[in-house]
Amino acid sequence: MTALLQVKNLQVRVEEQEILHGLTLTVNAGEVHAIMGPNGSGKSTLSHVIAGKPGYEVTGGEILFKGEDLLDMAPDVRSAKGVFLAFQYPVEIPGVTTMTFLRTALNAQRKARGEAEYLVPDFLRKVREVAGSLNIPMDMLKRGVNVGFSGGEKKRNEVLQMALFQPSLCILDEMDSGLDIDALRVAADGVNALRSPERAMVVITHYQRLLNYIVPDHVHVMSKGRVVKSGGKELALELEATGYAQYEDVAA
Amino acid sequence: MIHLGKNTTSRIISKGIAAGVSQNTYRGLVTAHRKATNARNFTACDSLLIGDKCGAHTVPYIEAKNSSALFEHEATTSKISEDVLFYCVQRGLSQEEAVGLVVNGFVKDVLQQLPMEFAVEAQKLISISLEGSVG
Repeated sequence: MTALLQVKNLQVRVEEQEILHGLTLTVNAGEVHAIMGPNGSGKSTLSHVIAGKPGYEVTGGEILFKGEDLLDMAPDVRSAKGVFLAFQYPVEIPGVTTMTFLRTALNAQRKARGEAEYLVPDFLRKVREVAGSLNIPMDMLKRGVNVGFSGGEKKRNEVLQMALFQPSLCILDEMDSGLDIDALRVAADGVNALRSPERAMVVITHYQRLLNYIVPDHVHVMSKGRVVKSGGKELALELEATGYAQYEDVAA
Repeated sequence: MIHLGKNTTSRIISKGIAAGVSQNTYRGLVTAHRKATNARNFTACDSLLIGDKCGAHTVPYIEAKNSSALFEHEATTSKISEDVLFYCVQRGLSQEEAVGLVVNGFVKDVLQQLPMEFAVEAQKLISISLEGSVG
């Protein structure tokens, strides 16, 4: 069986500065991986490169998604193939209702996969069902995308999209930032409901706290652009006690 | 906008889009006649820039011939940010679909005032004229 996501010896530069120096990571379907590390260790860079954000130059290594070369695909193609990045700071799009956005995006993905586009009544039924399970009022979906949303609402909107698009790889970039404990639990519950044998998740976070709610199968510690240690979920607890300092020495 | 009568109010919403190497200018004259006491006007000019070689200019003219007139003007200029586009593209929209979506959101206040037939046409027109403007 080929792994869902294979990152091999990835080297990435941003404006002449190398951020990732040969990062290797393998994620199989059904697994939840947590990536932890101090600020500036390259966690977000990794998530951006996987999703295809412009501005990063890959100088070496490769990323395979279901055995295909991911770096060769445009970001919207990656999305249609099942790569989903939940943003740390979801952007606001004034004047575009969340509903319109969801429908446009979902249909664009279905069209790219050669599937029939959703008709409005079918789509509404589906959204209502998913939003209901996440405790999202339909009123919220009539507002502009993320415009005037609280931190919790923005993250719930990301989870809603994840549930709606059913991607095979979900990358959660610091989902816990800007959330209070209750909002965190709601968002984490939404994510947990999406765990399935066909789907893998990569959870990027600074803190162990999130991992109490979303329990990972594997934990990786990143420092200075490399994975310096991998282990089971107990590694996260260990980190919480000892901090990142010891790993920074390893990388240096 | 010409105010002739007493206690008249008006509102102007202008939405300008500049793409490629174009320059977009708003010029609007608001006048209050000598007898138009308590005339009120509110003008909002929003400009959207697509790309880094275009510009937007706002030149509001005001002629108040009586001292009780109250004219307000406010202007904003925004750019379609890379982050917004990437967000849309990450969710499966192509670059052009993403621009179209953001632009239509921007002009929504104006388009929704138009009769249905025009609104649909205007929307199509916008996406056609934006074709190839982002590269």
